[in-house]
Formats: sequence, C-alpha cells, structure tokens
Amino acid sequence: MAIDINENNLKHGLLGLVIALVEIIRDSLNLQAVKRMEGGGLSEEEVERLGKALQDIDRAIEEVKKEQGITESVESVREGLDDVVDDVFDKLVDPQRWAEENRDV
Amino acid sequence: MSEARYIYCIANRDEEKTFGRIGLEKSPVYTIPWKEICVVVHDCVSSPYQSEDQETVRSWLVSHERVIETAWEHFGNVLPLGFDTIVKPDEENDAPENIKKWLMNDYKKLKQKFKKLEGKAEFGVQVFWYPQAIAQKLMETHQQLRNLNKEIQSKPPGMAYLYKQKLDTILRNQMEKEAQRYFEKFYKQIDEKVEEVKVEKVKKSEDEKQMIMNLSCLSPSENSKDLGDDLEKIDKKKEFSVRFTGPWPPYSFVQ
Repeated sequence: MAIDINENNLKHGLLGLVIALVEIIRDSLNLQAVKRMEGGGLSEEEVERLGKALQDIDRAIEEVKKEQGITESVESVREGLDDVVDDVFDKLVDPQRWAEENRDV
Repeated sequence: MSEARYIYCIANRDEEKTFGRIGLEKSPVYTIPWKEICVVVHDCVSSPYQSEDQETVRSWLVSHERVIETAWEHFGNVLPLGFDTIVKPDEENDAPENIKKWLMNDYKKLKQKFKKLEGKAEFGVQVFWYPQAIAQKLMETHQQLRNLNKEIQSKPPGMAYLYKQKLDTILRNQMEKEAQRYFEKFYKQIDEKVEEVKVEKVKKSEDEKQMIMNLSCLSPSENSKDLGDDLEKIDKKKEFSVRFTGPWPPYSFVQ
C-alpha cells in the first residue's frame, strides 16, 4: 500500500495526534477537578478559579483545532484509540474470542 | 489448469444443473451431485482469489453472494460457504473426488444442518437511536440532570464549566444505561418471534443516528410479516429507527 508522505500531511497527522492526547489529558484534569470540587476541600473562589483555568484550556484547544483545520483528524485519532482499547478489553474479558481469532491465522 | 473447484454452497437435492456464467470472473457455475445432495461450484486454479484492488474484491464478493442467492432460489435449502472455499486435488484424488470425500465425512452434520434450516431464512435487524433526542428526554426526566442544569444557570462561569463537566459525565452514563435497557428490551421482543438470534457488532455511525443493536435472525420465511410488524412499532417512535433486511440465505447460521 503506497502511503503518500509529504511534509504537510506528516505535520498534520502529528499535530492531530498531539492534540488528541492533550484532549485526553484535559478530560482527565476535568474529572479530577470535579472530584475535588465535590470533595469539599476547595473554597468557592478556588473552585471558580480552577473552573476558569480549565475552561481557558478548553477554548485554547478548540482554537488550535479550528486554526489548523484538524478537528476531524483529532476525532479520528481518538476513535482509533477507543477501538484499540475496546479491542484489548474485549480480548481480556473474552479469551475465547481471542483464541478463535488466532486459530485461523 | 482448472484442476480445483471453488465451492459456493451445498444444496439439499441431487440435481445436475448448470447456472451459466454467473460465477467469479464470469466462470460457469454448475453442480456436482452426490447421494441426495449436490455442491454448487465453478472450476478454478488451486490458489485463492486475492487482490489489492478493492473494486476487484468487491465484485468477487458480489458474484459469490449472487450465486448463493440464485442457488437458494432454485433449490430452496442451501448451506452457504464462505468466500474463497476451494477444494484442491492431491496425489490420490482429483478435486471432485476430494469434495465427495469431504461430504462423506461430514454427511451426518450436513443432514442435520439441512433439517434445521429447511424453510428458514436469515433476516437482518439493525436498530438505531437518535442520541440528541434521547439526551434531551433524559435532561427533561432525570431528576439529577434537571437539578444540575438549573444550578448551572445561576453559577459564575468557572463553576458553571465544572458543573457542566459533571453533568456531561452523568449524562453519558445514563445514555449507556438507556442503550443497554433498550437493547435488552428489543432483544427480548425479537428473540420471542424468531428461532435463533446472533448478535453482531454494531457499525460506527455516519450521521445523527447511532446503531445500538445489530442482529442476524433465523426464522421461517413466512414469519417475516409478524416480525416486520413488531419492528415497525419500534421504528414509529421518533427516537428510534429500524433497518429490517432479508430474507437472505442463512449465511450466519451454517456454523
């Protein structure tokens, strides 16, 4: 299969991957922040500052995606990663399926 | 050079028949009878059909299915085989003899399969939902979601953002629960109306619809109206859409 690599789409693909990872980290940070907020250890002002900071990160990510035109690219990287994870879990949970798949190889 | 035989399906009748050039690459398709059954084949070389070109492979698959459907319409009861099932000759036997050896080996199993599939067809049932519509319904009916949504309106922006993350997580969990609930509900309905059900993987969504259930069903061909009526009731609901296909030859129920 011929893969057409040029400087442009290599950068594009790499940037898509990087932003996808940044989004995953952002999601994790958001989860942590909500937990801390619910935990009650933060003052109202601290919660407000935390929320705003995360919101700013979110907006920055959306801007980068728009400016670079990589929104679909990022989406497809994340879908691809989801598929890989699903696949691994499926096989862990159902070893029979894994055995069946490898029998015919 | 055409020492091997490409096998499409096995039919429950010992008829000598030619179907014409409907096979892969326009190969002439005919039957090899044995005892009271026959095998639908075309002559080929001893290597599998392989190609890097998607269009070529697609046209082969279409031919493969078309031959099986033609045979199914003619014979009524056939056991479809997978793409690229080829029987080769060896030092002792030619290909037709090897086919007969194989039939002899599996004879009992084949007759059992024929008995099971007599008068039955395969139907495909795919159920989609509209995630937007479902999410909206949840936001209106689910207590915790309604409360959160109200609170967000009155909070300063940073807090509102965090509350929204929380709401999104809960909404996502509820959607998963709903998908599971509807899957079980529809599965049960369908299972009661058909003889056998196979759960297939759902396909990724292209648009605002999302597939939540993909089933292959084995059922007597006459029952399709009954099943169709049930599925129509689901399709009528505005949050759902159903794709009902068939009758097909029983591809998924041969193993």
